[in-house]
Amino acid sequence: MLGDSRKAQEVFHATLREAAQGAAHGELPSEPFWLFREARWRCLEATKNDLQPEAVEIDEHDLCAAAASQIEQLDPVQLAIWISAAPDPQRSALALFYLDEFDYREILDLAELKLNELSRLLARGRRQLQAWLDAKFPQPG
Amino acid sequence: MRAAISRVDGSADFISQQNFDRAVAHVVRLIPIPAESAEWFSEKDLVPASRWTWKKMMRNPAVLAISIAVAVIAGVFVSNFLSHLNDFPASATARKLLGTAASTRPVMLDPVNAEAGTLSDLFFMKYGLEHYDVPAEFADFGTIGCRVFEDDESRRIAQIWVAEKRMQFFLFPAERNSKTGAVMRFPDWRYVHQEGWTGAVTEHSGVCFMAAIRGRDKDLEPYIARPKK
Repeated sequence: MLGDSRKAQEVFHATLREAAQGAAHGELPSEPFWLFREARWRCLEATKNDLQPEAVEIDEHDLCAAAASQIEQLDPVQLAIWISAAPDPQRSALALFYLDEFDYREILDLAELKLNELSRLLARGRRQLQAWLDAKFPQPG
Repeated sequence: MRAAISRVDGSADFISQQNFDRAVAHVVRLIPIPAESAEWFSEKDLVPASRWTWKKMMRNPAVLAISIAVAVIAGVFVSNFLSHLNDFPASATARKLLGTAASTRPVMLDPVNAEAGTLSDLFFMKYGLEHYDVPAEFADFGTIGCRVFEDDESRRIAQIWVAEKRMQFFLFPAERNSKTGAVMRFPDWRYVHQEGWTGAVTEHSGVCFMAAIRGRDKDLEPYIARPKK
């Protein structure tokens, strides 16, 4: 979500601290995933004053058969930065979806999206990622 | 939705999308987590779970309370079981009459100075009670008084007070089968106990005789010819 491990750590600790204080006062919310929702808002808050992604048209390519091998060549940190550079709510959608920890319903709840919005954001994200992969690791032919 | 899923399920685009997502998710899992944050996800227990022991469990107030309650309930059951182990058809009435014996005062009885065995005629002539006979073992004892009363089930009970160790005799109808009306017989002498009193009970011709004494079985045993069962 942040593309910066120091900031991520600050958000993580701040979220845990607040959760611990809430627990000490017996004020933990009963709703599921409140901790993740809280962490997401803190991430968005932390990047509010950062450089924002430019509102430019990003290339989009259809997914190709060789995409899996292109992705294997990716540096995980670069992928993290690429996802964190996406504008929200696409950033939240991609981060939560590729964390592979939540099902669709949970992602919709956490990111406060509708199903068609999530579907559109993910489809667009895939096509943009494919375009980036094609630029980074061009396929012969 | 189902139609859409079934339409895309086998398509090449969908398979390639799934492979794409799987590959990205794999790389995402490789994104390094800062060491300080990773500690929070350690599989090692931060607070070691306390070891479960019998001793510790027995000190738990809830377990202790439940154990005591179960022990008391078990005790009551065992006590009830043991007290009813030697029950016989007239034992409930006999126990009630031991309570009566404990509360009876001499002034409550009509003074009669005779041998206990001779009161059968009195009971028959005056009260119309047949077979209210004192057994031979107790027939020679001199009486102080006697009375006939009805218990809470309107059964007529004969009570005799004798001088010998201030014993009391009771004659009362034997229990009957509620369906057939037949007398529920039992052989020989049987003992019952209630509030420090002991009764030796026998049945003859549909009438039960009980010799009651403040004391224990051994205080009555010498008077009973046949061995106790």
